Amino acid sequence: MHELSLVESLVTALEERARQEGWGRIQGVRLRLGALRQVVPEVLEFCFQGAIPGTPLAGAALELEEVPALFRCVGCGGEVPLGGRCPACGGPGGEMISGLEWEILSVDVEEEG
Amino acid sequence: MTRRLEIRQSVFARDERVAGEIRREMASRGILFLNLIGSPGAGKTTLLEHTLGRTSLRCAVVEGDVATDRDAARIAARKIPVVQINTQGGCHLEAHLVRRGLEALPLDGVDLVVVENVGNLVCPAEFDLGEDAKVAVASTAEGDDKPLKYPSLFVQARGVVLTKTDLLPHVPFSRERFWGDVALLKEGTERFEVAAPRGEGMEAWIAALERWAAEKRRPKAPGGAPQ
Repeated sequence: MHELSLVESLVTALEERARQEGWGRIQGVRLRLGALRQVVPEVLEFCFQGAIPGTPLAGAALELEEVPALFRCVGCGGEVPLGGRCPACGGPGGEMISGLEWEILSVDVEEEG
Repeated sequence: MTRRLEIRQSVFARDERVAGEIRREMASRGILFLNLIGSPGAGKTTLLEHTLGRTSLRCAVVEGDVATDRDAARIAARKIPVVQINTQGGCHLEAHLVRRGLEALPLDGVDLVVVENVGNLVCPAEFDLGEDAKVAVASTAEGDDKPLKYPSLFVQARGVVLTKTDLLPHVPFSRERFWGDVALLKEGTERFEVAAPRGEGMEAWIAALERWAAEKRRPKAPGGAPQ
């Protein structure tokens, strides 16, 4: 649903970076994506392929590293999965540890020569 | 030849910059800034109408909708400063749109600015608007399964407002299941139950807003003592 907005942010961020740093063509992008970003990978890929022609990312491959949603156990400080209980002490989850990541990890840039 | 560059940059860098600017502006003015999120028809505008008329806080509202200024007209009828943003098909608000809206509002002397996001339980939860807190709004008529079906919003919300409690005798809705799932997702979320047009439950909700606004005006030092 909002994958197109996410892809637009991604392409804008990388176009800006490519211009500032004088990169050549970008051949690949690795992203870290939290489970709470509610992104459907196939839809993201579809939007990405639609958005990149005519940009420095034209033809680039997209690789996703998915991060689970985890919360800090209120009881023992352990890790609690989304909607679950602490595997160690059975306590509820409090503060969010991970799940909202939406980060560019690396890009593969073509070099001259 | 290809070179791999580790860049570790948020995809939202540009929008996060704008959200950060809004957050700093609101902090310097001591204004509580809330992002109200819920599905279409959950009762977000009705909740606002009955909140703004009852609280002593001076309020302003940013209305987000795909189309029409109907919600803004309802808020303006209460003599509250309001600006309408139409996303023209967009399913959520983003920080740069909200900033433009805020620029059109008189913020001097205001205690509370509420953004009423586009009616949608999914996408609005993804975009930081520079708010102090997200508030989730869900109605009894929607069913009690929303927190687990849309966890991203409910784990981020500081407060959850269950609206239309006057319909409870008429709809299949388990309050125990709804609040149990909210607690299962995250400990410590503040809970409110209202039938806004009847005024039921509104005191506790408004008291919370006034408490949050007071915290914002007098930020706590890291040691916990008021500055």
